[in-house]
Amino acid sequence: MSRNDKAQGQIDAGPMDLADDDILKAMQGISGYIDITPNDFKEIYNLAYTLAVDRLAHSIKARDVMTHDVVFVWADTSLNETADIMARKNVSGLPVLDANHELLGVISDKDFLTRLGGAGIRSFMHFLAQRLAGKVPVIADLSTERARDIMTAPAVTVTETTTVSEITRLFEERNINRVPVLDQSRRLAGIVTRADIVRTRGRR
Amino acid sequence: MNYFQKMKGVTQSPPAVSLKEICWSWVGAFFGILPLAYLNHIHLEKTDVVMIIGSFGASAVLVYGAIRSPLAQPRNLIGGHILSALVGVTVYKLLAGQLWLAAPVAVATAIALMHATKTLHPPGGATALIAVIGSPKIHALGYLYAFVPVGAGAVIMLLVALLINNIPPHRRYPEFWL
Repeated sequence: MSRNDKAQGQIDAGPMDLADDDILKAMQGISGYIDITPNDFKEIYNLAYTLAVDRLAHSIKARDVMTHDVVFVWADTSLNETADIMARKNVSGLPVLDANHELLGVISDKDFLTRLGGAGIRSFMHFLAQRLAGKVPVIADLSTERARDIMTAPAVTVTETTTVSEITRLFEERNINRVPVLDQSRRLAGIVTRADIVRTRGRR
Repeated sequence: MNYFQKMKGVTQSPPAVSLKEICWSWVGAFFGILPLAYLNHIHLEKTDVVMIIGSFGASAVLVYGAIRSPLAQPRNLIGGHILSALVGVTVYKLLAGQLWLAAPVAVATAIALMHATKTLHPPGGATALIAVIGSPKIHALGYLYAFVPVGAGAVIMLLVALLINNIPPHRRYPEFWL
């Protein structure tokens, strides 16, 4: 199913959209006296729906939703090149690997902002506001620095069998947007982003 | 929702059933009550045995008129009646001098026991009540009341329900046994 599929986002709207009239008509379609009220049905439906969503979230694993062709940089990739790769691939963050293909950390646009504006910078707009107010210097020269110098390490990682609901919680708790997935030999197997999670929910 | 708002109700009445459903409910109830009434009034007239009690009329509503209801299933029909009868007889024996107290205790306890055993069957409340406020003939039965008329009557109604409710293609009974 494509990323733009119409089903996206309907998953949470579903139970709310059920009107009493729909239920009454459905009940009429079943022969025999059904001794529940439309409201009983709605309550049961909503509860069952929530449970089903929960069950699906627990049954879908990282390996089912992750992106396999991960764009990454080496630890000694220059920041100029890193920025260039992120811009070309249109990603806001990527894993940083050492020469043995082992995961060292993750580098994201936030790391760049922190490097440019200091530790307190929360977003690009925050940086821009600070910059316009003259509180941070003009964009620094990054050409001598490497990915390893500003990456976040160690990275938060998950395994291929981590459930989507756990990953969702991880995104919330650690305030991150992507998490590298490691296989059994601790090698990079893929990456799960917030967009992957949204896509999963739409697919159901 | 506050206390008085709750009294307004929150939803609509379920839809009416089809004419077919009404007819089959009538047929089921007729043949469900017929054998009990026949035994009671023709065969057992001169004996001390009773075969029909008021609560079977209420059971007929469920097992022939609302056959999909959990309250109408065999477990509830048989279990609810027999357990309630045992409760009713026991309470009558314990509180025979205070019928004003025995009646509510019997009904309330029957409901609690049916709930606890997943055998809730509304006519069971009547079965327990009849054990207390019933005729001297009922009182004379003692615990036999739970088997004849209550247990036997419920079994006969169940048999008729199985035979009649499964005739029309749009109906089936039961939904579950235990």
